[in-house]
Amino acid sequence: MRRPTCHRDDRGRLDVKMTPMIDVIFLLLIFFVCTASFDPRQREEILPTRLSLPGTIDSDLPIDPEMLDLEEIVVKVLWRDGRARWQINNRDYGRLGEVGNVLVAVSRVQIELPVILDVEPAVPMENVIDLYDLCRKIGLKRVQFAASVGE
Amino acid sequence: MRAPTNLARGSLGFNMTPMIDVVFLLIIFFLVSSHLVRQDTQTESEELNLPQADSGQPADADLARRVVVNVLPDPVSGGRFVVGGRPMGSDDLHKLIAYRDRSGRRMEVRIRADCTVPYRVVEPLMIACARAGVWKVTFAVVEK
Repeated sequence: MRRPTCHRDDRGRLDVKMTPMIDVIFLLLIFFVCTASFDPRQREEILPTRLSLPGTIDSDLPIDPEMLDLEEIVVKVLWRDGRARWQINNRDYGRLGEVGNVLVAVSRVQIELPVILDVEPAVPMENVIDLYDLCRKIGLKRVQFAASVGE
Repeated sequence: MRAPTNLARGSLGFNMTPMIDVVFLLIIFFLVSSHLVRQDTQTESEELNLPQADSGQPADADLARRVVVNVLPDPVSGGRFVVGGRPMGSDDLHKLIAYRDRSGRRMEVRIRADCTVPYRVVEPLMIACARAGVWKVTFAVVEK
């Protein structure tokens, strides 16, 4: 007597093969789980930096955007009463937009002018990046971070 | 003895379906695992809010040797360093930054600092980079 095959019974009826269907469903499940978990809400980018040589930065330089013989411009970021303030050439600025106007004027005079960011320790990185981003948007070529090295 | 000629009748057929399934699963596994390795630098994304910037540029997808330093906010010290999913102290981090490969090249350093972390936490890291001769330092940001 001939044994029935696994796919047909004695009356020739086709069985429903579950294994491939389960495989496909499993693969689809994995695919959608992966794509859902790897879909970033915001794309991450980078800001390249220039580090100034170790040493202290003397910020008592006569800085005037109208002068052509500037050597560098130092932008201080201060943290007062839970808010960021900016200082260029000992002149206070309460809004980042005002700092941007000064830097735009500087960039018109000399785009290669080194801009040194002197940040107070308590300033959050958000404000640091805001200022650095502003300098890059203006097109200043040489933006550096001041590093105070005591020892 | 008569050799079997009809393959449909009880002969040994080579079933490709399970093999294709297994190969496909392996491909997916390796794709996902390689993706997870790349995502290793972003393991703390849930508790790390990167600052926003307009002038950011796409992150390199090259195979350069790179140290990705996550700087997470900390209520006591202001911030703590996490590298490769493990907390790391300043001394170990400075050693890692100063590491050279066999050809004497320095590694790149990417700083993924939370937007609320004070600058005093990040500044020593940047100074360590400058001292170690690591000039390729980048900040991770998200586009506005």
